[in-house]
Amino acid sequence: MKADGADLQTLECWMQAVVMHPEGADAGLRSRPARRLVPQAASDPESVVLPSKALTSVERLDIYAHMYFARLLEVMEAEYPTTRQILGAHEFAVACRRFIARNPSRSRTLGGLSAKFPDFLARSLSRGHRNGLAIDVARIERAMEDVFDERRAEPMTAAQFAAIGADQWDKVRLSVNPALRLLKLRYPANDYMNAVRGGRKPRIPRPRATFAIVYRRGYSVFRRDQEPEQFKLLSALAAGRVLAVAVRASIGGRSRSADRLAAKLGAWFREWAAAGVFTGTR
Amino acid sequence: MNVLPNRWNLPDLGLGVGLRSQHFRQITERWPAMDWFEIISENFIDTEGRPLYFLDQIAERYPIAMHGVCLSVGSTDPIDFEFLDKLKALSKRVRAKWLGDHICWTGVAGLNGHDLYPVPYTEEGLRHMVSRVKIIQDYLEQPLVLENPSTYLTFAASSMPEEEFIARLAVEADCALLLDVNNVYVTCRNHDLDPVAYLDAIPYEHVVQVHLAGHTDNGTHCIDTHDGRVIDEVWQLYARVHERTGGRATLLEWDANIPKFSVLQQEVRKAERFRNGAAKRVAA
Repeated sequence: MKADGADLQTLECWMQAVVMHPEGADAGLRSRPARRLVPQAASDPESVVLPSKALTSVERLDIYAHMYFARLLEVMEAEYPTTRQILGAHEFAVACRRFIARNPSRSRTLGGLSAKFPDFLARSLSRGHRNGLAIDVARIERAMEDVFDERRAEPMTAAQFAAIGADQWDKVRLSVNPALRLLKLRYPANDYMNAVRGGRKPRIPRPRATFAIVYRRGYSVFRRDQEPEQFKLLSALAAGRVLAVAVRASIGGRSRSADRLAAKLGAWFREWAAAGVFTGTR
Repeated sequence: MNVLPNRWNLPDLGLGVGLRSQHFRQITERWPAMDWFEIISENFIDTEGRPLYFLDQIAERYPIAMHGVCLSVGSTDPIDFEFLDKLKALSKRVRAKWLGDHICWTGVAGLNGHDLYPVPYTEEGLRHMVSRVKIIQDYLEQPLVLENPSTYLTFAASSMPEEEFIARLAVEADCALLLDVNNVYVTCRNHDLDPVAYLDAIPYEHVVQVHLAGHTDNGTHCIDTHDGRVIDEVWQLYARVHERTGGRATLLEWDANIPKFSVLQQEVRKAERFRNGAAKRVAA
């Protein structure tokens, strides 16, 4: 085989098809894409890759095939430690391998490799509380990765909040920290993660709707649950609603005394201010 | 011992280690003794989080060299100029002494295997890579520092030994070399080659940096795992390189089972026994 021009391209495409095959280099050699590119290699791999004294041609290709999945699995294990704990190491590895085979990296950095992994789990895992929890935890762990790399924005100070007079509520919109994600979950996934990280072995919980935010303050990533109305209000603000409209839409319909409402809002905004959720007004 | 200058008069930065996130806090709290750090370029691209925060501080105090893993110089895909822009911007931000990558390809047809795949060592492969290196260097406006990778297979199409391919690439593209002596050892073990003959073929006026690392010996083959100490045979190869160059920026890579920073300091300082009393260092 010559390696010039198109032939070099063919050789690279062939090797890639072989070493990225989820069942290893031997299966990769016999795969349709590899046979289409270099037909003779399926029956005579030595015509393309020489054996060494100790290894056959296929064994040498298999080193790369093994490293491809091992390296990317290592990345995903670091990104999804609690998802892995729920599914178990073997099932998690199988899921990652299938995911990588269907979603090979197209980026020069690894940060976005598993961006679609929670959705993949949601489509591919069977129903059941354990898997449902795993999907929710994966969504939180993915959000933690996303905000880790997100651009930095200075949070609003308490004084800036205080300066928003009641007369401005009908006009002002709040800018949300780009390093914030809002997650509507089917399970108490945050509590479960806290328990695991605290060294406990919690049972798989029953379904219960929870509302979580994942955010970065400075250079540290945090996650916490929100009350349902609090989450609804924050979602409306993050969607760009005017402050007064967002408040009315999320909690205004409930019969509640003005004092209680003000106390609730005050507590929520203090919490969000401490978390650096807002970065300014517009 | 005389110093053989490199073609670009790039400085001998002394002894450094790869900057890894496990040591960010210790480095920025204690500012330990270390001549310089090398970063994996891609770990600081497309992020504005904690890694860049620490890197900015570290770059204020130590010289930095950028070493990438995804430039894919040998690929037949189009050159990714957007990625080169990001490399350029990071280089400017950390005032990198130089930037480089590997003599390999990492993906084709838009995919990325995040591994260092070997190219066939042919005249045609050489022309392809020389052409791309020249374009990249012109765009980056600086010499590209390219490393010999550890390889685990040989293409039947190859018509010249790896060391000849690398030597000719360096001369014909006029690029700089990062000579990884652990990779020389691993590659020669995997291909039944003589590492001393390999080193003898290298054009040392193109070498600006040397890598040291540990590897895993599986008996039938070695894997470049960067997970342990440098073995004696690799130190002996380093000694030969030092004899030929009189001093090059030397860096220890340790990427798996990463130990305490003090262990890295101790390990890289072993290189001093080959450097002491040798060439006067060019100021960084």
